[in-house]
Amino acid sequence: METWKEFEHNVVTHSAAHHLMAVDDLVRKLGYARVSDVARVLGITRGSVSVSLQPLKEAGLVQQDENRHLRLSPAGQSLVDSIKTKRHVVQRLFADVLGVSAEQAEIDACKLEHLLSNETARRLVSFLRFVDRGTPESRRFFDALRSHDSQCSHEPSACPSCPSACLADTLRQS
Amino acid sequence: MSQPAYGSAPRSAAGGAALSADELAEELNRVFAEEIEAAMRYLHLANAVRGLDRLTVEPILKRGFSETIQHAEVIAQKIRALGHVPRVELQIACPGEPVTARESLRIALTFEEAALEAYQDLLRRVEGDVPMEEFIRSQIALESAHVAELKELLVG
Repeated sequence: METWKEFEHNVVTHSAAHHLMAVDDLVRKLGYARVSDVARVLGITRGSVSVSLQPLKEAGLVQQDENRHLRLSPAGQSLVDSIKTKRHVVQRLFADVLGVSAEQAEIDACKLEHLLSNETARRLVSFLRFVDRGTPESRRFFDALRSHDSQCSHEPSACPSCPSACLADTLRQS
Repeated sequence: MSQPAYGSAPRSAAGGAALSADELAEELNRVFAEEIEAAMRYLHLANAVRGLDRLTVEPILKRGFSETIQHAEVIAQKIRALGHVPRVELQIACPGEPVTARESLRIALTFEEAALEAYQDLLRRVEGDVPMEEFIRSQIALESAHVAELKELLVG
């Protein structure tokens, strides 16, 4: 399968992930979640929330009781927990390890949280555990990363990271 | 019948939470957005339905479009009467895929029920403001009729 088509095989879309997380946040905060509450949290209409929740209900991720209160099914809760974990891990990787600003790290983590595979997330958790251990090896790694001169000669033939064109130049131009 | 004073101070509402004119305008903006979005969805569905049942369902969806636009216009007039300009922010995505007649009616029922609930909530919030209560009640009656019609069509 072509890799880009994997994007369409995700369990939930970005929008659906935020609907699920809104339900989870509201239930934790208020003890209940109604369509109107989700609409206010997400800043969209009730109609939009209702239409978006329909396939999530059909997929067994969200349940609605006779009082029209929403809650996540065990499968939905598991999915939300996984997405939130991935967001946290990616945010930490970008901000704490790579030095991306906290604001940008949060934005980028939000974009990736529902797309990241469990396999990759597990490897990232392992990497963060290595960094967080504070052992001499992890401290050396961190020191080396931080002191690394990010300047480059913009000469792909002399660079081990650039396949053909200078990666840094490509990003600067986009 | 005395008219409520639409000032910036909270209006007194017998037994209900007092809403200022600004707050009422904000609440009306929300239902305005519901109606505009519902109209857009009706228009999209009317053009997305495929199959033989399209002949039956298209006029129903187009009528839904016309009626929800009319509702939006009435809400906009109420917002203007409060001295505000109607404000709408929508985030709507209608997929470019065909739907069956039944699916289109089911989607319409979903957003019509949401609009009905929005009016029902608003009615509770304007308690004591008799003219506004009456207006919201009339909207609830219209939305209820839409919901009932769609449910009837979806039976079986």
